[in-house]
Amino acid sequence: MQTKRAMILVSSDPESIRLGANDLIKSLNESLAAYGLQDEVDVSAIADIGRADIVPLVIVYPEATVYGPVKAADARYLVEEHLYKGRVATDLLAPPKQLSGHIGWLRSRKGYNPSEQRIVLERAGRIDPDSVEDYITNNGYEALGKALTEMTPLQVIETIEKSGLQGRGGAGFPAGRKWRFVRNAEGDKKYVICNADESEPGTFKDRIVLEGDPHLVIEAMALAAYAIGSDEGFIYIRGEYGVAYQRLEKAIQQAEEFGFLGQNIFGTDFNFKLHIHAGAGAYICGEETALIESLEGKRGEPRTRPPYPTTNGLWNKPTLVNNVETLSNIPAILRNGPEWYKSIGTPSSPGTKVYTIMGNVNFSGVIEVPMGITLREVINIYAKGMKPGSSFKMAQTGGSSGSIIPAALQDTPMDFESVRKAGVSLGSGALLICDQSVCIVDLVKVLLQFFRFESCGKCTPCRVGTQRAYEIIDRITQGQGSFEELEQLPELAAEMERASNCGLGQTASAPVRDMLKHFRTEVEAHIRLGVCPTGVCPMVAEEETAPA
Amino acid sequence: MINLKINGQDVQAPQGSTVLKAAEQAGINIPTLCDHKELTPYGGCRLCIVEVQGFRVPIASCTLPVSEGMVINTNSEVLQKSRKTILSMLFSERNHFCPFCQVSGGDCELQNAAYHEEMTYWPMQPGWNDFVVDTTHPYFILDNNRCILCRRCVRACAEITGNFTLSVAERGAASSIVADANVPLGESSCIKCGACVQVCPTGALIDRTSAYQGLLADVTEIKSVCVGCSVGCGITLQIRDNRIVKIEGDWDAPVNRGALCEHGRYDPMYEMRARITTPLMRKNGALEPVSWEEALSAVADKLKPLSGDPQNGVAAIASTRLPLETLNTFKELFGDGMKSGLVTSTEEGMTTQAVSALADKVGTFEGHLDTLKNADVVFCIGANIAKSHMVAGFMVKRARPFGIRIISIDPAEENEMDEIANISLKNKPGSDLALIEGLKAIIVDEGLGRTPLTIANPQQLIAEAVEKTGLDVESLSEAARGLAHGVSPVILYGKGLTAQRNPQLVEALLELATLVGAVDEERVGLLSLKGEANSQAAAQLQMESQFTLNGHKAVFAAIGDDYVSKKLVERVSVAPYLVVQAAYESELTAKADVVLPVTIWSEQEGHYINLDGRVQKAIRAIEAPAGVRDNQAVLAELAQKLNIPLSGDWQRASQARHSSVVLN
Repeated sequence: MQTKRAMILVSSDPESIRLGANDLIKSLNESLAAYGLQDEVDVSAIADIGRADIVPLVIVYPEATVYGPVKAADARYLVEEHLYKGRVATDLLAPPKQLSGHIGWLRSRKGYNPSEQRIVLERAGRIDPDSVEDYITNNGYEALGKALTEMTPLQVIETIEKSGLQGRGGAGFPAGRKWRFVRNAEGDKKYVICNADESEPGTFKDRIVLEGDPHLVIEAMALAAYAIGSDEGFIYIRGEYGVAYQRLEKAIQQAEEFGFLGQNIFGTDFNFKLHIHAGAGAYICGEETALIESLEGKRGEPRTRPPYPTTNGLWNKPTLVNNVETLSNIPAILRNGPEWYKSIGTPSSPGTKVYTIMGNVNFSGVIEVPMGITLREVINIYAKGMKPGSSFKMAQTGGSSGSIIPAALQDTPMDFESVRKAGVSLGSGALLICDQSVCIVDLVKVLLQFFRFESCGKCTPCRVGTQRAYEIIDRITQGQGSFEELEQLPELAAEMERASNCGLGQTASAPVRDMLKHFRTEVEAHIRLGVCPTGVCPMVAEEETAPA
Repeated sequence: MINLKINGQDVQAPQGSTVLKAAEQAGINIPTLCDHKELTPYGGCRLCIVEVQGFRVPIASCTLPVSEGMVINTNSEVLQKSRKTILSMLFSERNHFCPFCQVSGGDCELQNAAYHEEMTYWPMQPGWNDFVVDTTHPYFILDNNRCILCRRCVRACAEITGNFTLSVAERGAASSIVADANVPLGESSCIKCGACVQVCPTGALIDRTSAYQGLLADVTEIKSVCVGCSVGCGITLQIRDNRIVKIEGDWDAPVNRGALCEHGRYDPMYEMRARITTPLMRKNGALEPVSWEEALSAVADKLKPLSGDPQNGVAAIASTRLPLETLNTFKELFGDGMKSGLVTSTEEGMTTQAVSALADKVGTFEGHLDTLKNADVVFCIGANIAKSHMVAGFMVKRARPFGIRIISIDPAEENEMDEIANISLKNKPGSDLALIEGLKAIIVDEGLGRTPLTIANPQQLIAEAVEKTGLDVESLSEAARGLAHGVSPVILYGKGLTAQRNPQLVEALLELATLVGAVDEERVGLLSLKGEANSQAAAQLQMESQFTLNGHKAVFAAIGDDYVSKKLVERVSVAPYLVVQAAYESELTAKADVVLPVTIWSEQEGHYINLDGRVQKAIRAIEAPAGVRDNQAVLAELAQKLNIPLSGDWQRASQARHSSVVLN
């Protein structure tokens, strides 16, 4: 193999592609040819590294210089300066106020900030997602080989149990215990499902993994299948994730060619067949039983529980459903041992959590940090502080089913136990940081608009509750609110939480509850004074629009 | 049995039971809306939520399986409040203004649930989508504005009828019940059975005929038997002011468990034929009203001299829609009394003669409709059960999601089974025997049989089958294998086969059934569909011969409320003297010399033998119009005038001969 003297990595997530990443790669290759460097320098595509603000970005190794955003027209200049003349093309460098031009973490793997620690996103953005060789060179399939040849399925489950890994889909259920349930369930056939139907607003952590490190999910699913005694798995991926779908498809094909999937994996008698299925745009299909119904070809409606999928899942067989982020922790745990994993994060919630940050802050993107970091730290350290002139008012966590965290709670450590105690939830890990210009009523209205549209309509409390709550809040924003109706909101919210069939209905009322708990005066001002303190709400009756 | 505690009371329930069922059996009432005892639990309305010790939130009891040591509370203050809130949500969701609702006959379960919770108003401001009312269906109306989205109709369409027409479109508050891919009901794949209307808890699905007919409390409910066909479904008749307001499937009936088809539910409600209410006699070429005395005396006078002459006397033909008692009297009067050589039924034994002939030889050999419940393969030959015996068809159609395989063999061009069959073969007419023998030969040849059978030269039989049926050997083999691979196959055969009047065909089919294990010591998965409601009764009374007038000088036709085929009218009406006993005007009554007006199905009482031998009693539901007499009474009176004694022992008469099915 010929050794290259340099490597150019170009981001190729959907946003980069939209902004011309493909043309950029073409121009880079042409420019290299023009300078006769085509044999010395390689151009590769990588996935999102969590810097959506500067895409398409280009990283040139071995110096690990980050340029961005780079246009196709800049390619020739960049090649000439950096690779031909050997100096940094200063005017293309990534804006230093957001990220230093030379980001050390890419080389040292230690994170650009002392406390960022990457397990789930270990390889995403660093390897070529279309190359199984890249994955293997970076410890890929090591855990699978170790488990299959050195460990019994029960030992795998014990390792996961000892690590204390909790489900990252939102509920935080201990992953090892779930695996054991499925292992112990009676059934001639068992299934593993990866829930990649990531549809929470503002959440895109799973996409980074699927696009940047698809083999990680495959390896983790094979491990899960080995542990629970399954030989078939499904990845249920969000329909809109076209790039991720293609990469997964290719990765599955490669894994089959290399013998990581299929018959007699690693020469053992373990077989595993993996399918990939794209959803059709329903938020509810991210709920595990609705996902199963959808996989079976039925209308995506959650089932009633009990019985749980662990005993009666896909086609009524015991089924393990795990979120992408949960699964992505598995290989590292098996490689490094449960003690290593427990050393990260807090005692009650070990490991890391991937957050997607957005809102009125200086840095928007993905970070992976140990459990237990506080919201204040996230804002001030990772998000580089609030935008000039902005002060922190509240954060909305976990997409829509998370909760609204007021400034007063920003020092709560973000781990499962602490947030539960504080009466809030981490949800799926999105952090929408809002400043003083955001109206709480308007925010809740937007969230409820989403829920009433995405409720499947099966059970009364969710179907009617989201609709009624939305209407009441909508009337408040139009200056038509009344205290009588405001009094109905807690009752509606309580009933949705108590009587709904699935997680959607049970958590859909959280924004209403949080709004009344932390921002009641602001809501009452809308009704009592007829004005919106932030000036966001129209406060006049709008023309009736056609129902959604 | 599982032990649990509900409201402090010790309750025992079988494994697999739900908390709701366990409570019900223990006499504890839990309100529900979306649950229905004949449908799979859905857990949508959330009215039945109960508190379970150890659970964070209340759980819907309709879907919660019982488990050992469970502690349940069904009626805490919090739950009561929950129920009211949930009902308020439902009321506020769409157009439910009960005090003004004239559609409900007091049978609106939403309204009743609110009364049960002692609600007089709901506090939420309503806001709803305006749904278009679907009035395109001939029998019922779908009004999504009154729908509570319980999905009972969707489940009934799938689980009772097996038609899968109804489903839910959109989601959330915009959800609505639609037919097929959101087409108007009248243009959809609906087969008009009305199961959805029967299960609808509100007025979202209402019969055109029964809406605005007053309160349910004011109607009398009578359980009876449908006489539409030989399936013999149990029905519940709602009677008000001597008028049928509504016909519903009887949930408790063992045959149909609440299912009913278009013909059972709606045909009687849309009866358009003109009723005859006074006896008519031909005078100077035209039919004129006369008194009963005059009519019956005239008939007696005319028939008396013909008595005792089997060939040239009176020929008698009776409808298979008449009760067993009436048919027996008919047989005693004309067969035993007047010694007529031709006493038959309007079906002329088309669906039973060949079957009875084999039963005479080998005894009872047919099974029960219930075998369909566990069938994994259904083999239909010469039968269009989806059309001719719809409810039996439902039993096959609704098993499709559970993997039942359907093999349909019928030369007829149009057969509704073709659409749903996994294997559908169209053999040449008259080639059925060769086909059955061919299938047997293939099964024996490939060693797929479950009982030993030796066939000397299977290849020759297969070649013959290919030649005579016009089907290729692959298709035949596919059907043979499909049948033989069944663990519990059922063979159904119909008019297409029996009308050939060839007992050999039925015998060959019995052999096939034995070969593939459809018939063995434990179960009998072989059944002919028979024809009308009392085909089997006519068969037991040996009223199975074909009608040919020959030298008969008079014909007595007891038609009752039946339709008469054109072909039969042609053959019967050439009689020199024709007496027609009928309820409605028809071509036959127009050609009669005397017409005797009689009762229809709902105005008379009597027994029916259904296709699998169940002897069921139909109950008189309404009074006949003035001037009309009971079918049975007219025959008895005539017998009296002719001095013919009647024993009336229909039980003995119906058992005088071996039956193909077990009578009970």
